[in-house]
Amino acid sequence: MFDIILPILESYFALIPVTLAQSLILSFVVLGIMLPFRILSFPDLTSEGAYPFGGCVCAVLISNGMDPVVAIIVAMGCGFIAGCSTAFIHLRFGINTLLAGILILTMLYSINLRIMGRSNMSILGSESIYSLINPLNPNSYGVKIGLVGIAVIVILVVLKLFFSTEHGITFRAVGANAEMSEAQGINVWRITIIGVGAASAFSALAGALMIQSQGFADVNMGFGILINGLASLIIGEAITGRNTVWKQLLAPFLGALTYYQLVSLCLAAGLPPPDLKFATGFFVLLMLALPSLKRKGMLPERVKIRE
Amino acid sequence: MLSVSNATKIFFAGMPDEKKALADVNLVLRKCEFCIVIGSNGAGKSSLLNAIAGKLLLDTGKIAIAKKDVTHLSVHKRAQHLARVFQDPLAGTAASMTVAENLLLADLRGKRKHFSPGLTKKRRRQYEEKLSILGLGLEERLNTPVELLSGGQRQSLALIMAVSNSPQILLLDEHTAALDPLTADIVMNATIRTVERFGLTTLMVTHNMQHAVDYGTRIVMMSSGKIKLEIAGEQKTGITVGDLVSQFSVKNDKVLLQECRV
Repeated sequence: MFDIILPILESYFALIPVTLAQSLILSFVVLGIMLPFRILSFPDLTSEGAYPFGGCVCAVLISNGMDPVVAIIVAMGCGFIAGCSTAFIHLRFGINTLLAGILILTMLYSINLRIMGRSNMSILGSESIYSLINPLNPNSYGVKIGLVGIAVIVILVVLKLFFSTEHGITFRAVGANAEMSEAQGINVWRITIIGVGAASAFSALAGALMIQSQGFADVNMGFGILINGLASLIIGEAITGRNTVWKQLLAPFLGALTYYQLVSLCLAAGLPPPDLKFATGFFVLLMLALPSLKRKGMLPERVKIRE
Repeated sequence: MLSVSNATKIFFAGMPDEKKALADVNLVLRKCEFCIVIGSNGAGKSSLLNAIAGKLLLDTGKIAIAKKDVTHLSVHKRAQHLARVFQDPLAGTAASMTVAENLLLADLRGKRKHFSPGLTKKRRRQYEEKLSILGLGLEERLNTPVELLSGGQRQSLALIMAVSNSPQILLLDEHTAALDPLTADIVMNATIRTVERFGLTTLMVTHNMQHAVDYGTRIVMMSSGKIKLEIAGEQKTGITVGDLVSQFSVKNDKVLLQECRV
């Protein structure tokens, strides 16, 4: 028995630091999925495009000698514009939020190729945000985990404070009841555009941090990121619950940490990597189907989303 | 306070199913007036309210609140002048947010928002005070999500939210129609109390003729997008439910005849 489990655990433990660094970075994508979905009731797929967009923009800027911090900020700005576009398409033309996101992420693929001029780009040897902190050993997982971990905590606290301000409550109101918000004098268009834009900016931030961590950008790096993010969010919400803003904000981060550890455990236990996407998809399906399976004999309630 | 002049709105203009929702409607409300709008389904009552609230943009005509032309203002910009209670109790409140958060939203209506904390202790105390007017015990449930309240409680909350920062115009869109008779009475009484207390200029749409007789300073009857009848002053004090209902059928039959001739 032990001779089966021991090597599995051994290879799993060896993977913990790299998985931890990776999941902290990707937790920003999960945040970028959660914010529109849960706070604004705007199910959004833009993150699948905004994540590689942020990565590609950042890679090109850094390889041209731009300061990594500035490059990250510009990448976030680009992600913000992508998210704003999705929200605008939905509001102005009445296109379903999911379809609006698919349109934007498809167009972003070409934009990424145009920006980089090729399908992938190495930035090994260039300055990165990690080498700014620890020039001697920028690839140490300690630096990455520490730096991104601090960023996670800062952003969590800032968001928590924001949602309890007068401005913050208007965002939650738009998601809870858009028509009532309008009657209360809230500019629903502005809030939706800014909110979805900010979410995509977080996805782009994840892309920018990731390419600096792995040393290259690839136009296909976003493929499947959405379903991973959704799985993380669902796990996170199962852990924290959703009845307060604080729990809702913690869910993406705890979920990402848990989900990527689970994946790494599965891989260490011998799950063939090609099967991973099927397993993830099946898991998400199961978690989403669970409430309606529990309610035997009743049709599921129709989910209220913006059409 | 409120003036609607020559308001016209035609749906599907020029098509076979053309519908005149509003046909040259003129209405002036003085300050503190309580006007009740009655009429059969499709008479244009809701269109009138929607036009005033900004949900429905007029084809022609003008709407002014306190002498300010608001004809082309969007719903959220008009919200600083007027407040509205919807027929559906679910529509006027944010279900997933708490009672206090909903009141905060109403409190901030039409005001500049800041990055300062929203629900301060001072505000909570004010909200408790406001809710105690209702006498429903809502003041002890500030932190309860609104989705856990009953329909009547939600509608009462929506009413308090609407009147909370003394809007220039209060629009009530059949706001007791979806409630059971007892709760409807409670909400209606609370409405009258708050309207009198804050001296609000009110426009109320209702199908309840007893309410139309008992309350308000003026009755306006609409039919086919036009104002067919206005009852105010002494005429209003002597009127009974029977009188109103008879007006209904007479007016409707006339309309029917006219339509037949055409």
